[in-house]
Amino acid sequence: MVVVFFIEEKASPEDINKFQNELNNSPLITHFQFISSTEAKEQFIKKFPKLQGVVENLEINPFPPSYEATLKKNISPNMVQPFIQKIKKLDVIQDTQYNQSWVEKMQSLSRLIQAVGFFLGGIMILASFFIISNVIKLNVMARKNEIEILRLVGATNTFIRIPFLAEGTALGIIGGFFSLFLLFLLTQFFPLYLGSSLGALNELISFRFLSLFQSLMVIISGGLTGFLGSLTSIAPFLRT
Amino acid sequence: MIEIYHVWKQYQAPDWALSNLTFRVEKEDFCLITGPSGSGKTTLLKIIFREILPTRGHIIIDRKNIRKIPDHKIFRLRRIMGIVFQDFRLLFHKSVFENVAITFQILGINRKEIRRRVFNTLRLVNLHHKMWEYPSQLSYGEQQRTAIARAVANNPKILLADEPTGNLDPKLAFEIMTLFKKINEKGTTVVLCTHDRELIRHFGNKILFLFNGKLLRKEKF
Repeated sequence: MVVVFFIEEKASPEDINKFQNELNNSPLITHFQFISSTEAKEQFIKKFPKLQGVVENLEINPFPPSYEATLKKNISPNMVQPFIQKIKKLDVIQDTQYNQSWVEKMQSLSRLIQAVGFFLGGIMILASFFIISNVIKLNVMARKNEIEILRLVGATNTFIRIPFLAEGTALGIIGGFFSLFLLFLLTQFFPLYLGSSLGALNELISFRFLSLFQSLMVIISGGLTGFLGSLTSIAPFLRT
Repeated sequence: MIEIYHVWKQYQAPDWALSNLTFRVEKEDFCLITGPSGSGKTTLLKIIFREILPTRGHIIIDRKNIRKIPDHKIFRLRRIMGIVFQDFRLLFHKSVFENVAITFQILGINRKEIRRRVFNTLRLVNLHHKMWEYPSQLSYGEQQRTAIARAVANNPKILLADEPTGNLDPKLAFEIMTLFKKINEKGTTVVLCTHDRELIRHFGNKILFLFNGKLLRKEKF
């Protein structure tokens, strides 16, 4: 996100220095750049070429010089507002442009999407739990005779469980890898599919693949789901 | 070796599958349990094997009250016993060798040792030459001998058999009973259910007659 600080044309070099120091020392800003009145006019003409005549017919340049400060990613609007209020108090500042309400709306939308994501993720985990436990249950049913014989010859429950638990865990881990692969494809190709239709939203919505830790968690939770699914499906067959 | 004290078993009221059974089977006995169908022979074997629990009464095996064994420790009881079923209960997708090897696999014995022990066990039942065949390729008698091999593979103290000759012709039945006798002579206590009077006359040194779940009489020769 970018905050634009419009500065007074007649500001003294000392005031500008003081302002620049504030920007330099702020932990919220990654970098900033000065845009002169002429550059602002050129940018306007570039963006709106049809209005070129109107702008050029004006006797004065209506675009004030400004500083565009780029904020760090994942900065909360609550942190930005006090910073802007502080800068605004400087004499050098004529006006600021930062669409907080729009950012807040986008962030709450992003939180909503995240919540829906977690909800759907939870449903998916439950679904995979039942799918895996049913697959194992079918397998257990098919090998019921073998399990019964193993019990009769004195096999421990652990001995009987191990192959089923291994199978369930392996299924879960393979499922985890497969979902990571699908997610990778999605993060690679979905932005291309959406293309420029996202427009300004591109800055807010980033399609990133999971970190190594998150990927490991997906695989581990897949394995754990498979393990628990097998454990619950074999339990009834091991009761006396 | 096996002590049964006032054992009652009811599946569904008001009928009793077993009523107040009390008897002992001594070490190295060759005990035959006989009686008509529905007299409670299989129920009695299932109780001795702890496949089911009696409604009342106690069973002491090797000085342990098996009622008090928790579920997760039943495998210890089963490892001192071998059981042969009338329907053999073999794994048809596994070879004769694999069917017998299960008994050793559960003990975590290494492959080489398993091979040696399975071969010796199959030689005892005269099936070593068919080690790699599948149960479906064997005759009824051979399938029964595979089931016996599996039951005796681990040198159990007690061998239980539920109508082991029920599906066999008289010649094969005699052969199988001779095999049980041979196993018994090696020191294994054998408890066998049968209603074949000919076999009872030939083999039993202790005979229990059951009728409607009651012990009618005990005979010892």
